Amino acid sequence: MDERPDKNRLSRRGFLAAGAGATVASGLAATVASGSAEAPSDAAQRKKYAVVIDARRCYGVHACTVACKAEYKVPLGENRSWVEEVEKGNYPDVSRSFLPRLCNHCNKPSCVSVCPTGATWKRDEDGIVVIDKDICIGCKYCVQACPYDMRFVNEDTGTADKCDFCIHRVSQGLQPACVEACPSRARIFGDLNDPDSEVSKLIAKNPLTVLRPEKGTKPNVYYIGADHTDERDPRPDGMYVDVKTNRRYKERR
Amino acid sequence: MDGHLFWGMPVILYLFLAGMGAGATTVSASMLLRGGGGARGAHHEIARYGALLGPIPVIVGVVLIVFELGSWQAGHYLRFINLFLVANLSPMSVGTWLLVGFTLTSAMYGYTYLKFMPMYFGDRLKWRRALAWVNIPMGIGVAIYTGVLLGAMPSRPFWNSPVLALLFLLSALSSGTALIILARAFIRRSGLSEEKREEIHKSGYVLSTADSAIIGIEVISIFLFLMFAYLTVGDVRYAIDVILPGGELATLFWIGVVLIGLVIPGLLELYFVLPGLLYQRKYEVSRYTEMLIASAVILGGFLLRYVVVIAGQITGPVGV
Repeated sequence: MDERPDKNRLSRRGFLAAGAGATVASGLAATVASGSAEAPSDAAQRKKYAVVIDARRCYGVHACTVACKAEYKVPLGENRSWVEEVEKGNYPDVSRSFLPRLCNHCNKPSCVSVCPTGATWKRDEDGIVVIDKDICIGCKYCVQACPYDMRFVNEDTGTADKCDFCIHRVSQGLQPACVEACPSRARIFGDLNDPDSEVSKLIAKNPLTVLRPEKGTKPNVYYIGADHTDERDPRPDGMYVDVKTNRRYKERR
Repeated sequence: MDGHLFWGMPVILYLFLAGMGAGATTVSASMLLRGGGGARGAHHEIARYGALLGPIPVIVGVVLIVFELGSWQAGHYLRFINLFLVANLSPMSVGTWLLVGFTLTSAMYGYTYLKFMPMYFGDRLKWRRALAWVNIPMGIGVAIYTGVLLGAMPSRPFWNSPVLALLFLLSALSSGTALIILARAFIRRSGLSEEKREEIHKSGYVLSTADSAIIGIEVISIFLFLMFAYLTVGDVRYAIDVILPGGELATLFWIGVVLIGLVIPGLLELYFVLPGLLYQRKYEVSRYTEMLIASAVILGGFLLRYVVVIAGQITGPVGV
C-alpha cells in the first residue's frame, strides 16, 4: 500500500509542472528551481507525524474526547479519541491512572492491508492513515482488523471512520483538536522527521511504550509513563483491576 | 451477543451458504469426473444434484452480505460496486473475485445439466467435463477463502489460526455432500424398479462414506484448533476460553457443533456404511434416516460458522 500514489501529491506535482511551464515561458527560471525544490516528493521534505502521550500528566478531564467530538460531530455512542481509566490494587495500595487513546497511524497498519477497495491508505507525505468516504463500502473488515479498536462505522455516512490526526488542521499548520484542548499538555504532536521537534526530543530522552507491540503494527503514538494494565492479564492473587475504556457505552472483555 | 457485533447474521449465513454451495459443486464435479464424466457415468445422478443445487446458496449468500454493508445501510445502495473496481491482496478482494468467478463457472456447470435448455456452443458433455475440472479448484478456493477472510487478523486471536480455513473447507465439503444427500432423499423410491433402487442406494453409499470420512477429519481439525489454542499463551489462550467448558458459547459449540453436527451424524453414517465397507454388505437406508443425518450435518455447519463468527468478535484485545 505504501506505493499507492497519493492523489493530492500527484495533483500538486501536476500543478507544479504546469506552473513550471508557465514560468519558463515568462523567463523566471529561478522561481522554477525553488518551486521544484519544495515538492513534497523530496524525501527530506516528507513528514512523519507522531504523538507522544505523557501519561503522567493526564488527570482524566476528557477534554480531548470532547474537543474531538466537537471537531467532527462523531455520532452518539462512538468516539475517535478517548481516555481509558485503569484502577487497580487493594486498599490502601491502590492506583488510578489514565490512558489517552487515539489512532496510532501505524507504520504497518493492519486496517490498510485488509481493505478490499483501497479506500484507506497511509499517506506518503505525512504518514497519516486516511479513509476516503467516497470509496469505502462499509464492509467493516478494517474495524475487525484494528487491534486498537480505533475504527468504527459512522452511521451517518455508512463508512469506516477514525482519528485522522485532524488532517484539516494539521495541513494548515495547526495542532490536532485533542492536543490543543489538553490542559496539562499530556498530548504532544509533531514531526518525527524533524530532529528539532518536541516529539523527536521527547522520544530521544524518555523510556517509551506503545500499545500492543506484539501485533507488529509499529504504532506512531508513543507513551511515557503509561500503565498498560489489561483486565485479562493475570494479576497477583486477589488484586483488583478495573479498566474503564470509555470507548463507547460498553466495556472491553 | 448484545446486538453490537460488527458482523452479524448476514455474514454468518453468507459464510455458511457460500461454503455449502461451493462444497456441493465441488463434490458434484469430482463425482462426475470419478464416474468417467459420461452421460450415464456411475455417479451421474449425484453430480446432477450437486451441480444444480450448488450455485443457489452461493448466490443467496452473496446477496445477503450486501445488506450488511455500512454503505447499504446508510443508503448508498450501489457503493458495493467499488469492490469490483480494484483487485488487491486483501483476503476480501481476493475472495470477491473468486466468488465472481465461481458464481459464473458453477452456474455454467449447472446449466449443462438443464436438458431443456439449448446449448449454443459446442457439446454439452464436453462443456460439462471441462467445467467440472474448473469448478473443483474454484469451489475449494471459495471454501478456503471464507476461513482465510477471518483468519487474516492478529487483532482477532480466535480466528487467527491456520486450522480455521481447513476447518471451514472440510465443513463446506461435508455440508455440500449433506445437501446432495438431503435433496436426493426427497425423491420417492417405492415405485422404482429393483435395478434403479440399487443404483440409488449405491450412490447413497458413496456419499455417506465420503461424508463420514470428511467428518472424521473435521473432528481431528477441531481437536487441533482447540488444542493449539489451549496450549499457547496470551490472546489466543484467553480467546479459546469462550468455547471451553464454562465459556459463553461452550454449550452451543459442544452440543450444537460437535455433538449434533459432527459426532452423531458421523457415527450414524459409519454405522450404516461400515457393513458395506468391511463385509461388502448391501447398503440400504431409508430416506427419512438420510434426511435426518443430512439435516444434522447442515445444521452443524451453520452452527460452526455462528459460533466462530461470534466467538471471534467477543474475544481478543478489542472485544465488541
